[in-house]
Amino acid sequence: MHSESKIDPKILEEVLKFSKNVIDAPKLVSAPDEISLEVTPHDTVHELDKTRLLHYRPLTEKQHKTPLLISYALINRYHILDIQPEKSWVRNLLQQGFDVYMLDWGTPTSMDKYLDFDDYVNGYLDSAVEHIKNESSNEKISLQGYCTGGTIATAYTALHPESVKNYVATAPVIDGWRDTTVISNLAKHMDVDKMVETIGNMPPEFMYYCFSVLKPFEQGIEKYVKFFKNIDNKKFVDNFLRVEKWLGDTPPIPGELFKQWIKDIYQDNLLIQNKMYVGGEHIDLKKIDMPTFTQIAVGDHLVSPECSMPLHYAIGSEDKTLRMYPTGHVGMIASSLSQKKVLPELGKWLAERS
Amino acid sequence: MHLMSSKPQALASTGPMRSFAANSKKVTTELIEINEDLMGFNQYLTEYYKQLASAWEGAQKKVNLKAPEVPQDVEQIEAFKRIWIDIFDNDFTELFDSKEFGENYGKLVSKELELTKHWNNIANVVLQSVNLPSKEEIDEVYKELHSLKKRVGKLELELKKKETKKNA
Repeated sequence: MHSESKIDPKILEEVLKFSKNVIDAPKLVSAPDEISLEVTPHDTVHELDKTRLLHYRPLTEKQHKTPLLISYALINRYHILDIQPEKSWVRNLLQQGFDVYMLDWGTPTSMDKYLDFDDYVNGYLDSAVEHIKNESSNEKISLQGYCTGGTIATAYTALHPESVKNYVATAPVIDGWRDTTVISNLAKHMDVDKMVETIGNMPPEFMYYCFSVLKPFEQGIEKYVKFFKNIDNKKFVDNFLRVEKWLGDTPPIPGELFKQWIKDIYQDNLLIQNKMYVGGEHIDLKKIDMPTFTQIAVGDHLVSPECSMPLHYAIGSEDKTLRMYPTGHVGMIASSLSQKKVLPELGKWLAERS
Repeated sequence: MHLMSSKPQALASTGPMRSFAANSKKVTTELIEINEDLMGFNQYLTEYYKQLASAWEGAQKKVNLKAPEVPQDVEQIEAFKRIWIDIFDNDFTELFDSKEFGENYGKLVSKELELTKHWNNIANVVLQSVNLPSKEEIDEVYKELHSLKKRVGKLELELKKKETKKNA
């Protein structure tokens, strides 16, 4: 008896098309070093050690009085907030008439291994805030902290409430014990003292490993399948390469800062319990009494909503807003949803208070 | 004449080999300890791959149960792929989230750091043999530099704040 197996011709067609796309890819895509992630024009207005304060050029004739400083995360770089014109967090805020500054933490080297939370909070961030206050003739500014930049900005706002008019916490890392992500599980079992003593700064490769265990099959296989399937779509390819370049460029984290971050946030969970000290000063979240806007992504697999949300309930502000969005950690700041929903809501809230 | 001919090691007292020879026992000790730590490292590495293999096996069984038929067309392949990715991502996330994985991974990294420490100690012997500062000595300089920069930075900021208040 002879049985004949039939293969759907569409399957063959798909396989052939996919193979052709893989072969054509080198001709159609740019090399990573040909892509510039500096999108919106800006000037470096202040520098301290390796940090730079960027001031974006206005896109509107009139601007709100209170400037906004963004404290970006310690992992990867600030470029994701300005990854391309249509998805740029920065550009959107400029178009809404805000005066936007960004703090670039720079690239720490071996000699920066002793930089700690105090240096970042009371040194670099404070220095940037003071510069903006002087330059803009404002006594207070608006501050936004994203991810681990949110931890730093939260500590700063609690220690220097007199300088912060409005506080925006975007997926901040706050309550390590409630965090349900893989990152927190790895952090809880880490001998961070030995790590810092032996290798100094936290190497980027370790962060890449941590990224690789987050949705490994969606991110490690499906993402690239989609890329090759869409190789003819110039916009898709450009966006993909920009994000890939951003993902592959994370600076080391200074050893002492990393040690305190892992211990105080993930292992001992001191910040949310009002037991954390930075540079010998006690961080009391109740001292955050200015208008505060907390943004959370429901599908965040880097900083889970349970990790960020407690900030809203712990602070002393009476004027506080909590918003949750049906997206992920990066989707909240660089997607069409962020342009259509997240940024207009933030802009409205901020404009009323700026 | 006697000194010149019977103590040839004195001739080499400023060269690298004398210092290296004096510390060669240290290098041997480090190498022995590296061997011991390597055994521990391999133990945790084996457990790491065992955990991955077990998660893979479990996930594949779930996929087989949920999608037992061989996909016949493009839509079915797409649906099968979705099921496969979702189940594998879920099961592996569950593994990476588990206490067992976290503990073993922590120990694996810790052993790797022990190996790095021995490697650093050997490098220090070589550095000292050519009169270069050891890692600890360089660290001391970094620490001192950091402390000085911090003090200067705080003083500068205070001064700036006072000047601003004065001018206001």
